[in-house]
Amino acid sequence: MTFNLTRRAVLGAAATFPFARLAHAGDWADTERVARGQTVYFNAWAGSDTINAYIKWAGDEVFKRYGVTLTHVKIADAAETVRRVRDEVAAGKADGSTDLIWINGENFRAMKQGKLLFGPFAESLPNFRFVDVEGKPTVLKDFTEPVEGLESPWGMAQLTFFGDGAKVAKPPRSMVELLDFAKANPGRVSYTAPPDFYGTTFLKQVLVETVDDALVLANEATADDFKTLAVPAFAFLDTLHPYLWREGKQFPPAQAQLTQMTADGELLIGITFNPNEPANLVAAGRLPPSTIAWQHAKGTIGNTHFVAIPINSRAKEGAEVIANFLLSPVAQLRKQQLDVWGDPTVLAVSKLPPDIARKFTKNPAAGSVTFPGPALTEPHASIVAHIEAAWVERYGA
Amino acid sequence: MRLSRAGPLPIAVLWALPLLAALATVLVMAASHESLIGFVAQPQVNGGILLAVWTGTASTLIALTFAVAIAMTLHGTRFWQHVPLITGAALALPHLAFAIGFGLLIMPSGVVARVLVGGDAPPQWVTTQDQYGLSLIAVLVLKEVPFLLLMLWNTMAQGDAAQRFAAEVKAARSLGHGMGSVWIRVLLPQVLRRTLWPAVIVWVYGVTVVDLALVIGPTQPPTIGAVIWSNLNDADAGINSRGVAGAVVIVAVVVAAAVFAWIGGKMAGPAWRASMTRGPSPLPVSRASGHILTAALLLIYAAVLAVLVLLSFTPRWPYPSLFEGGLSLAPWQRLEASPVVLSIGLALVTSLAAVAMVVLWFESVRQSGDRLLLGLAIAALALPPLTVAAGQYQLFLRVGLTGTHAGLFLVHLTPVLAYAFIVLSGPYRSFDDRISATARSLGASQLRSWCQVKAPLLKAPLLTSLAVGFSVGLVQFVPAQLIAAGRFSTLPMEAVTLSSGGNRSLTAAYALALALPALAAFALSAFFSRPRWR
Repeated sequence: MTFNLTRRAVLGAAATFPFARLAHAGDWADTERVARGQTVYFNAWAGSDTINAYIKWAGDEVFKRYGVTLTHVKIADAAETVRRVRDEVAAGKADGSTDLIWINGENFRAMKQGKLLFGPFAESLPNFRFVDVEGKPTVLKDFTEPVEGLESPWGMAQLTFFGDGAKVAKPPRSMVELLDFAKANPGRVSYTAPPDFYGTTFLKQVLVETVDDALVLANEATADDFKTLAVPAFAFLDTLHPYLWREGKQFPPAQAQLTQMTADGELLIGITFNPNEPANLVAAGRLPPSTIAWQHAKGTIGNTHFVAIPINSRAKEGAEVIANFLLSPVAQLRKQQLDVWGDPTVLAVSKLPPDIARKFTKNPAAGSVTFPGPALTEPHASIVAHIEAAWVERYGA
Repeated sequence: MRLSRAGPLPIAVLWALPLLAALATVLVMAASHESLIGFVAQPQVNGGILLAVWTGTASTLIALTFAVAIAMTLHGTRFWQHVPLITGAALALPHLAFAIGFGLLIMPSGVVARVLVGGDAPPQWVTTQDQYGLSLIAVLVLKEVPFLLLMLWNTMAQGDAAQRFAAEVKAARSLGHGMGSVWIRVLLPQVLRRTLWPAVIVWVYGVTVVDLALVIGPTQPPTIGAVIWSNLNDADAGINSRGVAGAVVIVAVVVAAAVFAWIGGKMAGPAWRASMTRGPSPLPVSRASGHILTAALLLIYAAVLAVLVLLSFTPRWPYPSLFEGGLSLAPWQRLEASPVVLSIGLALVTSLAAVAMVVLWFESVRQSGDRLLLGLAIAALALPPLTVAAGQYQLFLRVGLTGTHAGLFLVHLTPVLAYAFIVLSGPYRSFDDRISATARSLGASQLRSWCQVKAPLLKAPLLTSLAVGFSVGLVQFVPAQLIAAGRFSTLPMEAVTLSSGGNRSLTAAYALALALPALAAFALSAFFSRPRWR
């Protein structure tokens, strides 16, 4: 009994200690020195071979350059890691399991609100000076949530559709045109079931295209607000669903499956968040060379994805060094190459030295976006929970 | 005697304590009124419960019927002695791998459609993720028939039981019963009683399974297990606690359904007994239908294995051609070594430890004490793995066991030891102890009499329980994922993560990498189970 009480007291005291950051020397050279020899557990979605291969390359580079060991913890959903970090912090576990996490949107918001993040650190990374903060405002506002230096930008994303140009002669450039397309090709269009990220984004796109006044989407919405503003969106979905795959009664659970079904020809339109993914898949031989990609004429939802450092990381310096390397022109350039990953850069090419800036200008490849549209800002993060719940209630039970 | 004091200790400390403490943790956490209400209020809960009870119950009843039908036709033929080998091969294919392979056969862009339909685009078949869970039921039936058949064989084929059954058959035949009547009136009542707990486990597994439901089950709504898993993995703390509450709700559902079935059985008892004691009937066994069933099962297993092998060498598989993509070793070259080593090591260590601990229990505790352990073992398996794992995760987090090898060992031991105990208890306790007593009266020590007399006679069930334990340890996903805390990766973790990425060929390669060690274990177990004098 006595032992238990003592133990609890010790744990409790230990829990608060490591979160108080040791006085920051402020000097990047110091950070690199402390980082040398550290092992960084990088929790990152691992559903794509090309991305896994890129992370492995980055790991080899940071070991060579800075003596930091990167271990890729392969996860299926970043929410798993958020839950794990929160449980660890709640249990007073100081030496957390996670040092770096690939994150954005509602997961970032959950970690920020739960005070689970270390920082601010992002804007003091040496390579942050290249980031396109003017041209890409989402590097500072993640789903309308101010970033405040708690996560470091890694890549850009924009909702993009793709299909075989031989079968999709005239790609639908709006939700209304998509409805016509589905009517002409019943059973050959679908989207993934929310809360899958892609399905949720598809719903947000419907919301943006059907709402009376798009400005209200930027504000926090209560359940009642949402009910009103989503009326036209659900009216649209009610009309669309009978023409979808399985008459809208079943939905593919994951984007990878949707992509595979598109590759097989079971579906005619695929959905991605990486505008270069179709070209990347063409290069890998998984989609035909006749593949085309497009965005809606009035724009599609766009955002930025980031890396963040949990507050109970035990290798914060190593994690900062990796975050900084991921931002470096050489790492960003490699990431953007179509045969590597194809993920668009967060850097402003104009801020880079001319010799490397030249290499960022792309040459169009098969499967590249042929009909681009502007990037639209994400609706307020509070809307995500509402739209997912409302969708499941209406179509999921 | 000293052994009787120390014997039950390892099980109590390493197995029962973590299990009970985990259950206490999960109960305390679920006791919140708010999270219970929150869970039940979710729109997919009612439909999900109905779907889960339907798929689990239908699949168990069909699988049990099939297993009995096959046992009836094979018993007394020369194939009967090969049952462990045949079922072992089928059991070695993990459920998840089987579901993936079976899906690749029947899905609209799968092998069957390519062979039968072809054309530009896959047909609009409703073969996977169908609303009523029929494809999920099919996978469960196909995967559980071999397990139940092996359990039937285990109770019927070892040493004295086989002789006793043979004598009873002879007696019943001489009274004028046909072979079908002998089965129904004499053999099944005895055999099914011993197979009750395996059947219950199969049923609970079917009702609460998560990974299969995710791969091949309906999505709108999904089964209740899938709803709970998504709750448990949500980033929102409130929704997590709903998942924990749901893990307790599903236990209540399972218990309620079991009580319902038990009452039904009691009420049907008198009528059943009357029909059982009615005079002799010439009812024969329909060998043809049994053989067709066996052949169909073997064919489907062969096809599933073939499609997994084919796809593990086919990085591209464009519709509608079967082979056009070209064969390549690339998927196999991408397999990583560390998950393979960790998974095989964990399965080996936990299964050996579990069987040793269970034997120690049997040798030191009277049979009347088994009830307690059986209840706990059933609880360990009857509770959804995600309930137990969620509790163990919370518990281990507090004592610093997450992300350690010790933590991984303990969570793997939970189902492995439970299976080992259930598989072993029937045969072990029906061992005629007069044989050991004879050995001891001739001056052999307790240890020597066990090693030289009892163990050789119980070789088959001992090896079977080892093999079952090994394959159970190999395929754990939910607890491994939670306890590994990202520090370790096991084969099923790799396979499930990959399957969310849709790389069919690499997933197939991992599925086979998971199947091969289990296949080897069962082959060895079957090989060494042969009586020595043959």
